Amino acid sequence: MADNAVQRETVLSLRETIARIENRRLAGVVKTVKAADPAGFRLRQEGTPASGRKVLPLGIPDLDDLLEGGLPLEGMTEIRNAQTRDAGAAAGFATALGALCQRARQQKGDDGAPVLWISQSLASTEAGLPYGLGLSAYGLDIRSLILSLPRTVKDALWIAETALSVSAFCAVILEIRGNPASLALSESRRLHVRARAGRIPLLLLRQSGHEEASSAFFRLHIEPAPARERPLPDGSMLCGSIGHPVFHVIAEKSRSPAPVGLFLEWNPHDRRFYPVEPLPAAAAADPEPAHSVARLSASSGRPGGAEPLGHLLAFPRAS
Amino acid sequence: MRLVALDGLAEKSGFQLGQGVAEARAMCPEVDVLPADRAADRALLEGLADWCSRYTPLVALDGESGLYLDITGCAHLLGGEKSLLDDLLARLFHLGIEARAAISSSAGLSWAVARFGTQGVIAAEEAAGVLAPLPMAALRLPAETIETLGRVGLKQVGDIIEAPRAPLARRFGSMLLLRLDQAMGLEDEPLSPRLPVASLSAERRLSEPVQGEDDILVLTQELAARLKPELEKRGQGGRLFELLLFRVDGRVFRIAAGTSSPLIEPGRIAGLFRERLQAVHDDLDAGFGFEILRLSVPRSEKYEVMQEDFSGTPDRERPLAAFADRVMARLGAESLFVPVLSESHMPERAAVFQPLADVEMLKTLGEAVCAVPAALLATSARPQRLFQSPEPVEAVAEVPEGPPRSFRWRRSLHRIARAEGPERIAAEWWVDGETAAERDYFRVEDERGRRFWLFREGHYGGPTQPRWFMHGVFA
Repeated sequence: MADNAVQRETVLSLRETIARIENRRLAGVVKTVKAADPAGFRLRQEGTPASGRKVLPLGIPDLDDLLEGGLPLEGMTEIRNAQTRDAGAAAGFATALGALCQRARQQKGDDGAPVLWISQSLASTEAGLPYGLGLSAYGLDIRSLILSLPRTVKDALWIAETALSVSAFCAVILEIRGNPASLALSESRRLHVRARAGRIPLLLLRQSGHEEASSAFFRLHIEPAPARERPLPDGSMLCGSIGHPVFHVIAEKSRSPAPVGLFLEWNPHDRRFYPVEPLPAAAAADPEPAHSVARLSASSGRPGGAEPLGHLLAFPRAS
Repeated sequence: MRLVALDGLAEKSGFQLGQGVAEARAMCPEVDVLPADRAADRALLEGLADWCSRYTPLVALDGESGLYLDITGCAHLLGGEKSLLDDLLARLFHLGIEARAAISSSAGLSWAVARFGTQGVIAAEEAAGVLAPLPMAALRLPAETIETLGRVGLKQVGDIIEAPRAPLARRFGSMLLLRLDQAMGLEDEPLSPRLPVASLSAERRLSEPVQGEDDILVLTQELAARLKPELEKRGQGGRLFELLLFRVDGRVFRIAAGTSSPLIEPGRIAGLFRERLQAVHDDLDAGFGFEILRLSVPRSEKYEVMQEDFSGTPDRERPLAAFADRVMARLGAESLFVPVLSESHMPERAAVFQPLADVEMLKTLGEAVCAVPAALLATSARPQRLFQSPEPVEAVAEVPEGPPRSFRWRRSLHRIARAEGPERIAAEWWVDGETAAERDYFRVEDERGRRFWLFREGHYGGPTQPRWFMHGVFA
């Protein structure tokens, strides 16, 4: 009997440790743990979110499962794309999330809390400045959009921290290019904690960066995907037209991994995502042009990888 | 090369202003000649003017070597005119500056006495007696007038004080009598202060100089707290605050911090200066410390007093203003932007970003956005990101007007799967000139699903060869 109690105590403390590591709200977990079946793990009840976090459901079961209920409204979510030319897709996905946050605030009657978009000037020079008319057509209310173009990553982080410490914004988008050494694990942890304390969603938009450990709840890799055609009033599709944007969302950091990813279409009129089936042609398309340059992610704190062998051409003899 | 200034020893040795350097060297071979630097002289004088603002805010520059201080209503703060003058001269002496000064009821008399008489405090009724024995140059007259006066034997001011005025004015011009009246205090002479006087300021003099940033901030907050009742009484909030730091060795630092909305809370004012001190960190050399701190409000605006509610949730405008102020205090006024739409066909002019100067701007901009036609705001044919300057691409396109088939942008090839367009946007002749080529925009999607906005400038068969550009990226 005493043995059983000791075992139970051990299990309880281990679960508490796991909960602490996993960033969950401790009180609720402890309650759950205490109520748990001593004989083993308990299945989660359907419909209850995994944690006590405030989330914004995105209306797509697959995506919401991936994000454990929806977009975290307190804390950091990382969105990254691999190459600069995909920056439009990642920025579009982040903008869509920003528009959803805005709408959620408006529905609560809190009209006019702006979205802050911090774009380090290197990022906005490489991938283009956010464009007011386009963003407006995309569903973002540009009447409450503030843009900041800090020169260095350090300034960008400082602005983000300042913004998270005042309760003025409904979402903060922080756009950084590459994996700079000044935004390492400890800085991301700091931002994440600030965002949780300030109860503001922080979307870290990492442009052409590689996977890097960070404190974000989730890291989503966004790739562009071919759009559907525009629907005609009679239900058929207009051949050869380009419809609403489609994203290929791959969860890189999530507790419920889905390596294949999801295809989502953003509808600016309804301001919501719709799941779509991938086009067979897109998967089969040749991803590489015949003579492409090496795909390199932007600079980071690490030295580059080893050069592949066999690329050296024979030099002509000098004499 | 001529001598423009002499020190005391040189004056005694018999050198004269305007003398050639070669002649001076002939008189005394070991003479030390330094090249004149008027900009540095000016900077020194301005530095001294800043330093003098410890006595009065009304400091005016006088030519290249003088300062006027209007001490009306300030003298009692330092224990009277005599002790003010003594304090000023003693401090300047310790700074290593030779200075002469006089206090009188008119600027002209002070000027004359400081340069030609015995310095001190002159009462108003003594003016004629003090002025009489001084040379004519003490009246700030042009050199030729002095020379003409000298030729007829009028060498001292006393010679003309009692003389009949009409013949003097006829012969030597009205300037002479104007200057005389100004010196006598009969004519008013306006002084234009170097810097505008702040409507409100609070000052703290320290017996022990402070060096640390934290000490400065604590004192700033204290000063701001002293300003608050007065601002509240006037119903005003500061839009610009200026902190003057007087260093013990005479240097004065001015740090200004603007706000995006009228402000009275001492905590936030000190917070602004915390960011400003971070920003000017390297330029602010505390040296042996600061002895006087002064916080002034050069610009203020009407302040809407708002009732705090019991819910504990702060209202929306103020935290946003607090954020904007902190960012702009630290990173400069051009660090936050808001989108502004304007009536233009050219995409790069139709939506631009303007610096956020005022939180009120957000509201007025909102109205401006509402005025823009809804069709333009909802069109899907505008990209979410736009390049500031279109980037040239090598495109293969159907001749003459078709969409591109493939294009090479930033050294990588994109094969186009679908294209929409063209959307022809003609150049605005009233801005770009009449010869600017029109653009045909295409919305294209490559095989991987990336969506771009390309345009062709000019057309086949036109005066110039058409060129292709990348202008934006769609989501």
